[in-house]
Amino acid sequence: MIALLLCFCFAWQTGLADARAHLRAGQEADKNRQFDTAITEFRKATEMDPTLIEAFVNLGQAYMEKGEYSNAVTPLTRALELNCELAPAHQLLGYALLAQGYAKQAVPHLEKAGEQSALGIAQIETGQLSEAVRNLQAALAKRPNDPDLLYYLGRASGLLSKQSIDTLLAAYPDSARAHQALAENYFVLRQMPQAEREYQEALKLRPNTPDLHLELGEVYAGAFQWDKAEEEFRTETRLQPGNAEAAYRLGNALLQQGKARPARFELQRANQLLPNMPETLYGLGKAAALDGDATAAQQAWTQLLAIEREGSLAAQTHFALAGLYRKQGKIAQADRELQEFKKLQSPGAQAQPQ
Amino acid sequence: MRAAILVVIVLQTLATPTFDVKRPAGLDFVLQNSPTPQKYLIETMPGGVALLDYNNDGLLDMFLVNGGAVASPMKMPENFDRHDPKYWNRLYRQNRDGSFSDTTEAAGLAKAGEGNYGMGVAVGDYDNDGYPDLYVTSYGTNILYHNNGNGTFTDVTAKAGVAAGGWSVSAGFFDYDNDGKLDLFVTRYMEWDTQHSKNCGQEWHTYCPPEEFPATTSILYHNRGDGTFEDVSQNAGIAVKKGRALGVAFADYDADGYTDIFVANDGMQQFLFHNNKNGTFSERGMEAGAALSEDGRRLSGMGAVFQDYDNDGRPDIIVTELPREIYGVYHNDGNGTFSYRSLETGLGALTSGSSGWGVGLEDFDNDGWKDLFVAQSHVLDNVEQIDPSLHYKQVPLLAFNHSGHFERGESGIDAPVAGRGAAFGDLNNDGFIDVVMTTLGGAPQIYLGHENKQHWLTITLRGTRSNRDGFGARVEVKGQTRFATSSGSYESASDKRLHFGLGSADTAQVEVLWPSGKRQILSKVHVDQFLEVREPE
Repeated sequence: MIALLLCFCFAWQTGLADARAHLRAGQEADKNRQFDTAITEFRKATEMDPTLIEAFVNLGQAYMEKGEYSNAVTPLTRALELNCELAPAHQLLGYALLAQGYAKQAVPHLEKAGEQSALGIAQIETGQLSEAVRNLQAALAKRPNDPDLLYYLGRASGLLSKQSIDTLLAAYPDSARAHQALAENYFVLRQMPQAEREYQEALKLRPNTPDLHLELGEVYAGAFQWDKAEEEFRTETRLQPGNAEAAYRLGNALLQQGKARPARFELQRANQLLPNMPETLYGLGKAAALDGDATAAQQAWTQLLAIEREGSLAAQTHFALAGLYRKQGKIAQADRELQEFKKLQSPGAQAQPQ
Repeated sequence: MRAAILVVIVLQTLATPTFDVKRPAGLDFVLQNSPTPQKYLIETMPGGVALLDYNNDGLLDMFLVNGGAVASPMKMPENFDRHDPKYWNRLYRQNRDGSFSDTTEAAGLAKAGEGNYGMGVAVGDYDNDGYPDLYVTSYGTNILYHNNGNGTFTDVTAKAGVAAGGWSVSAGFFDYDNDGKLDLFVTRYMEWDTQHSKNCGQEWHTYCPPEEFPATTSILYHNRGDGTFEDVSQNAGIAVKKGRALGVAFADYDADGYTDIFVANDGMQQFLFHNNKNGTFSERGMEAGAALSEDGRRLSGMGAVFQDYDNDGRPDIIVTELPREIYGVYHNDGNGTFSYRSLETGLGALTSGSSGWGVGLEDFDNDGWKDLFVAQSHVLDNVEQIDPSLHYKQVPLLAFNHSGHFERGESGIDAPVAGRGAAFGDLNNDGFIDVVMTTLGGAPQIYLGHENKQHWLTITLRGTRSNRDGFGARVEVKGQTRFATSSGSYESASDKRLHFGLGSADTAQVEVLWPSGKRQILSKVHVDQFLEVREPE
């Protein structure tokens, strides 16, 4: 009897040793990306030792590396039966389920694994949009340049926004905000008459809502109706005297109509509210030049070039300075600015030499 | 009571539209651009119109350029069948009662040239025989028609050597070397043919932007004086730069006595060819400040006019463009340079959503300030599907000039059309400028200027030492200046007579600086007349 027991014990220990050998062989094959061999070895290991958690986890991982997500589920589930707190198994099972579209089933595993990026993606699918945004933001904080994370965060935020707007439209279709939401949608689609109609409806209901006049002004500006745009931007600046964008938009609308003096005033105000914005400085220079104040124009544009040395706005500014100097008869300075412009100019604007 | 009457008078004045929209009897032309699903770029580019008195009876006649048949798809060799009379170019003689008679066949102009797809027309008396000749541009070969003086024309292209080839658009006669003989400038658009056409657009198939095709050179022909021309493009420096040229206009911008050339290029910088007075030109658009927008952006230059809009005696440039670009106003600052003044002049607000082609600076209300007329329409016939805020068919722009600032005028035109070429002249000799505008796929639009109580003077130049048309002369009347030309606009030729609105003046002084250098002054000239000024021998 003792001999029999010793014999069984030896065989069992031999079996365990063999299972570990297969595990090592599998890990070696996996390292060399020989996934079929690895799967065979891991499977043998699990057969010889059905409690060898590591082998089940590795088997699941190898299936996943091979792209066979459905085959990965069983060994990973077994691993978790053996140890329900095993984070790597939760993580892999979460991935495997998510890859197959079982987002709802993936969520608890990814939560346990603390895998915020995949969890966020799964939560988009399950409609847990606020949670998805929160998790993706946290993941993005650790990997700020990950394009996938940026994409999914954008998608989650967009869907969250849409969900909120859908609720608004369904529950309060006649509210000012519902009209505003519809108007914004039409504006994005460049359906300006519809956008204008919805903004007007919103304004009828709540005429003093911040941003409504600004947005309606943008509709008019997009349709080149600068006089109407001016009126809306002006109303917005009355409602929000501290809003730099409203002042900038009003200044620009005035500029488009050749109203130099008031444009200059508004652009100066925009620059005081939010100093050194390149677009504001460029517009300010244009308005000053239009108003006949070359010194102020030069000052604004020089200030802009100190902030922004490259790019299309810098090129534009050099060109504008060239025009300013040319008008003053300062031909050498004009030529110098023109050269700077040409250096920064986007290709295609110049004539092609034969 | 008095105030009320005044208000009524003011309202009546404001309500009176500038033009009567007319369809004169006998004018049955339809511009056949033959649009196809292939969206061949040529389909959206014609066509020109000329106002000329071909039979010297004192009435302006009309020549209209037609497109041609386009197969879908085209096969090589390209052949735009123009046998069917509906594809012919047409000459209409004006009758005393304001109606028109189609004299195309009688004048020998029925055969438009096989393989050509018509674009534009230039008018000038290149042989100084007193009868205006016609130069018709095409995608294909161009044709010079000599006016025989008996109501007929002869195709003299081969003898004259001005067939060009490629894709010609606008053309103009001018005398660049002041030898008394009109030379010829031809704009060419790009290197393109139907076999190298492309599919552009995404969801919607559209005409391609010009950048899709290689640029090409324009052509300068020197008039030898024996009925032949020499292509001097290379030696004169015109072919030094390749462009995508559509419009052309002439004037002596730096007052050195020699005519300069402005070329409207599409989707790139504009060209200003300065006349070096030795038979060559230097392209100075960039240095002179007339090449790009105020922001240094390239422009979709299409039509151009080179006249003095602010009565400072110097020719300025206005270029028509695509939406969001604003028509370019280049003010001549007098030191050989220009400053961009689209916003100052009010054109920013008036034109930021418009697409302009033919353009003219004419004093429609005879108040002494040249007003602006622009034929408008987007290039893309399906632009609404791509951007609902833009429109293919548009109402032409009429902007009145108030001391150099333009404000939209009540034109009396409310039907949007696909405007292209535009020519200006006094069709009914009433002292008020009229407009003929071509429309793609449609009939030409005739806008007759309404009379008012303002006075006017219309001058015909008769060069003797200078070219007989007096092209290139600088004529000043009562503080206004015009530079004699039939060119400018887009693909079109206007009445060569120089029209001046004189407000309440009874008489005016006329000062002519001829291309020969002769200066001629006529004092106390009576207003409201057609005056011929002959250059002193």
